[in-house]
Amino acid sequence: MTQAPTFETDFWKDANLRKVWDEIVPGEPRKTIPYKLTLEAIQLYCRSVGEDHPLYFDEAYARKTPYGGLIAPPSIHILLMFACTPNDDWMRTPGTINAGQSWSYNKPARPGDMITLHARALDKFIKRERLFVVHDNVFFNQHGEVICSGRGQTIRPA
Amino acid sequence: MTTSFDTLSVGDTIDGPKFDVSRESIRLFCDGSLDYNPLHLDDDYMRNNFGKTNFGGIIMHGMNNFGLITRMLTDWAYPAGAIQRRLETRWLKPVKPGDTIQPVGVVKAKQTTQKSRWVLIDVLVRNQRAEHVAAGEAMVEFPLSDSIAA
Repeated sequence: MTQAPTFETDFWKDANLRKVWDEIVPGEPRKTIPYKLTLEAIQLYCRSVGEDHPLYFDEAYARKTPYGGLIAPPSIHILLMFACTPNDDWMRTPGTINAGQSWSYNKPARPGDMITLHARALDKFIKRERLFVVHDNVFFNQHGEVICSGRGQTIRPA
Repeated sequence: MTTSFDTLSVGDTIDGPKFDVSRESIRLFCDGSLDYNPLHLDDDYMRNNFGKTNFGGIIMHGMNNFGLITRMLTDWAYPAGAIQRRLETRWLKPVKPGDTIQPVGVVKAKQTTQKSRWVLIDVLVRNQRAEHVAAGEAMVEFPLSDSIAA
C-alpha cells in the first residue's frame, strides 16, 4: 500500500486550508501527486464493490486474455481521485456532495502503474441556492497514455 | 448467456448484482476508495442540515453505485470481448445502511461507426422499495477485431 501510511483519513484535519467555493478558480490546475497503483489497492477497491472477476485477481487467467495480465476495473478512478490529490484538495472538504459524473475509458490501469492526474475546475455556478463546481480530470499511466477522463459536478458546502 | 453485437436487440436487459448496504460495506468503501468524507462515517455530523436536506445518518458513497454499475457492465461485456467505454451517472436518492440496491441495464441503441461497433445502455439502480437511487447511460464497444483490448 504505497500511500496508506501517509494518507490522512481525517478529512477535518487541515479543512481550513482547502479552497471554498468562492476561491475555486475555473481553469486553474489542481495540485496533484503521482501514485503507484498496487495490486493490493486494486483488490481492496474490488472487494468494496464486490468485484470478483479473475481479470483483477487471477494472474494466470488474465495472462491468457487479450489484456495479457491483471488489470484494474474501469471504475478504479474512484480510488485514483483521492490517491492522486493532496490533503488540502477541495474534493476532500467535508460535506462535498457528488451530483453526478461521466467518464470515458481508454486504456485499463494495471498493477504497478505510476498514475498521474491532470485536474481542474472547469466551471462554477449557483442553482437553487446551491453552490456547484464542475471539474474535469484525466488520468495517465507512466507511458503517457490516457487511462480515463471524466467530468463531475459537486455541490460545495455553503 | 454469451452476448454478441449481432444478436443484441434494443430492449434487451442486463441484470446486475444485488448489493447489501451496511455500515461495514460503507466503511470498506471508504478504505477501498480513500474517500473518508464524514458524510459516510460520522452520524453526529449527519444530524446537521445540508441546505434543505437532512439525511438523518450516514449515507453510502454515490460512487458506490458507480462501482456497482461498472461491475454489472464489465461482467456482461468481458465474455463478449466487449469494452466498457463510457459511464455517466447521476444520483437521485441517498442510499443508507440496511438498503439493498441492484443495478439494471437496458439496451437503448446499437450503432456502427467507421471503425467499430457501439451499444448504448440505459442504466438504473433501484433500492428494495423499487425507488430509483441512481440513473445514467453507458457506452460499450464491440470491436471488429479482438486485438485492441490492451
